[in-house]
Amino acid sequence: MNAKMKETILNPILKGNPITVLVLGICSSLAVTVELKGALVMALSVIVVCGMSSLICSLLRKTIPNRVRIIIQLVVVAMMVILVDQLLKSFEGTYPLDKQLSVYIGLIITNCIVMGRIEAFALGNKPIPSLLDGIANGVGYGLILIIVAFFRELFGSGTLFGIPVLSALGYTNNGLMILPPMALILIGCIIWVQRSIQKDLQEN
Amino acid sequence: MNTNSNVYTVIYTTVVCVLVAAILALVSSSLKPKQDANEKAETISQILTAAQFGEKSEWQAKGNAAVLDFYKQNVAQAILIDGSGKKVGELSTADATVYGKSELKAQNYNVKDGKGMKLPVYIFKNGVSVVPVYGAGLWGPVWGYIALGSDLKTISGAYFDHESETPGLGGKIKDDPAFRAQFKGKSIDFNDKAAFSIVKGGAPAGKANAIDAISGATMTSRGLDEAINVWLGAYKAYLTKNPEE
Repeated sequence: MNAKMKETILNPILKGNPITVLVLGICSSLAVTVELKGALVMALSVIVVCGMSSLICSLLRKTIPNRVRIIIQLVVVAMMVILVDQLLKSFEGTYPLDKQLSVYIGLIITNCIVMGRIEAFALGNKPIPSLLDGIANGVGYGLILIIVAFFRELFGSGTLFGIPVLSALGYTNNGLMILPPMALILIGCIIWVQRSIQKDLQEN
Repeated sequence: MNTNSNVYTVIYTTVVCVLVAAILALVSSSLKPKQDANEKAETISQILTAAQFGEKSEWQAKGNAAVLDFYKQNVAQAILIDGSGKKVGELSTADATVYGKSELKAQNYNVKDGKGMKLPVYIFKNGVSVVPVYGAGLWGPVWGYIALGSDLKTISGAYFDHESETPGLGGKIKDDPAFRAQFKGKSIDFNDKAAFSIVKGGAPAGKANAIDAISGATMTSRGLDEAINVWLGAYKAYLTKNPEE
């Protein structure tokens, strides 16, 4: 693996994280981070959708008419999202989760990260790097989702993956953690921490 | 090739759309039976939870087949009744046919109109009857199942579900076992102003047909209260008639 490939994979996870640095996909990260389980499924779904849509769009990139490229991208992304949703509905294990997340799974279509990566990367690069870029951005998104969900579930419900942790110790749940504004504050904290570690992200 | 010409653009978009539509139609129709089976098992597990045959999460862990088997073994009959309490049909217990959310939604229009009702009653071999309720919560529909003892008055359990109530607040009608547990041992009283009420600020002590509402979820509680009363009203004739008749 050469240096450029490594950069493609690592950049979206750390230095160019879609949520904390590009500040994309905020809406869904507020909505699905109440519980770890939901956040995990959402993260996996975005990884699949982002990776596959980037791959398909990259394969088609030389044939797509420039004037309608956004619509074609949208059709490809929408197709992937519906496929993921249908598959989640079909398995016994994931059916209850899909029921819980169904609105947000559908809203992956409007997740700026997916369209943003296709427009910025997949249309100008070969299929394999595009696939990796899509997956890496999904991972970068998912990572933040899981960090936020960890704190929200731990302090909001006293559990982790539904298993009592703090609540077993007599902890009183913090109702504010459950509400979306708290996710925004947590993401703000993550951005703060990241910026104080990576000094080059700071503006003068 | 000029990829920017009008003809190319029109043909290209048409081909892409037709292709995507074909793929989605194929996937959707091939996965439909599996999805329907999941939905049916989900509904039955909710009915079983209401009737106090174990907890919803346990049923989920046991899998669809176990849920269906248990239902088939324990249900005596599943009948459809109209507004006057008369039996107008039957649901196959051998196939474990149940009314899911979409059927309840369709019946909700009939309940509102007061005619054309075909409402299910699931009667179990241990004497418990389960009736569904359906109505509007804060963000979307709420529905559920209320299990009644053999006197058709005492509530032995309940289970509720919702489409999009706020998790942690209105979502508690489904997620909080303590809310559901309140129903146990309560009863329906058609002589009261409301047959059953969910009271904001706490039910008066000793009142047999009232429970506490969920704090922070006034609208959901109110919606559920209405769903229960409207649907129980539709079942009134059936529930109050002499069981021997």
